[in-house]
Amino acid sequence: MDFLLHDLDTDGALREAGENAGISRATFLGGTVAGAVAAFAIVPTAQAASSGDVAVLNFALVLEYLQSSFYTEAERSKALRGKAEDAAKRVGAVERAHVTAFKGLLGRKAVKRPAFNFRGTTEAQRSFLKTAVAFEDLAVAAYKGQAPRLRSKQVLAAAVSIHSVEARHAAWMRFLFGVQPAVNAFDEAASKAEIERVVGATHFVVARPRTTTSRRPRFTG
Amino acid sequence: MPPRAPLDVQDAPPGPADPEDATRAQLFHRAIVAGGAIVGAAATWGLPQLTSAASKEQDARVLNLVLALEYTEAAFYQEALDKGGLQGDLREYAKIVLEHEKAHLAFLKKALGSAAEPAPRHEFGEKTKDAEAFTAAALTLEDLAVATYNGQAVNLTPASLKAAARIVSVEGRHAAWIRSIVGDVPATEPTDPSLKEHETRSRLSDFGWKAG
Repeated sequence: MDFLLHDLDTDGALREAGENAGISRATFLGGTVAGAVAAFAIVPTAQAASSGDVAVLNFALVLEYLQSSFYTEAERSKALRGKAEDAAKRVGAVERAHVTAFKGLLGRKAVKRPAFNFRGTTEAQRSFLKTAVAFEDLAVAAYKGQAPRLRSKQVLAAAVSIHSVEARHAAWMRFLFGVQPAVNAFDEAASKAEIERVVGATHFVVARPRTTTSRRPRFTG
Repeated sequence: MPPRAPLDVQDAPPGPADPEDATRAQLFHRAIVAGGAIVGAAATWGLPQLTSAASKEQDARVLNLVLALEYTEAAFYQEALDKGGLQGDLREYAKIVLEHEKAHLAFLKKALGSAAEPAPRHEFGEKTKDAEAFTAAALTLEDLAVATYNGQAVNLTPASLKAAARIVSVEGRHAAWIRSIVGDVPATEPTDPSLKEHETRSRLSDFGWKAG
């Protein structure tokens, strides 16, 4: 797989971003882990026939929360320039629409938005783009992994109509970051466990908002 | 949370129709329209026409539809490169994307075996003559590919859906890539549209597909 997922861990841009933001590697690595696991381990209580679909939708909702919060925070940071700034605005609006859509679909069964700490990646052009590439490739792989699990044809139709939009975003962010937008003839799926592991490793999902920069925190969670 | 087994499409058979689905889908649709500042969603996101239950026979029909599409894409990029009107980023794009489309074609031919329809002919007219015509045609074709795969997702058995999903996102990447190269906004809508089989066939014919 050619996502930058492997870089979306504490050894890549994120550590760099964290260090730039003035926190030590030890603090960064030892940060709040519990929140990430908790946010992705929510199993809906619904016992209806389509409880499997509810679980898939909630999983997708958490990924959309992650993305929408990231872009919203990036837009508010005013640290982006040119095409990256424009992309953050446009893609952010779409990811927020996805969140609203899933919440509407799930109603009372929708999980709540977790708290996020993007550890400075929304406040610098390069780390923003690198993280955006990773998020979009991650979303593509996640939807691909979950689509065949859906039982409702209508929910499946909705999921695939979002899946390909995430792929467009992935190519867009890759182009802006300066890497090939479509590397392989086939995109691979990732399992829920793989996605949870990768997102967990970022420590972006936190139990509660924490300040990591000298500037005022910009939590959207 | 109990550990999950790795994803296996065999454990996710197509379920029975859920009477709540229509309502949920309408809610979803409304939320999309309300949630984004996106006007086009109402026009582009429609429920697909559900056909008979997924089956191997239906898979073959759908795979032949996307086979026609992949033949057209591969032939289009090949002709554009042969004509030599592309330079720089566009040429690089066409070379890489041609290889992807050829790989998709080979995959589908293998999957269909003797059920594969014969190779078509193509008449692309002016579409490959220069960079400008190529760009307009390429992004139309890539969008057509995405809408075709998306429209057929609900008609496929889980195993075929899994395979199609590996391809459709690559088509979406191509569509955004070429827009990026020429400075267009790569993605504007929150959801991609879907097409029915006869709509895809008709658009392929308009593009230059001819029965072989």
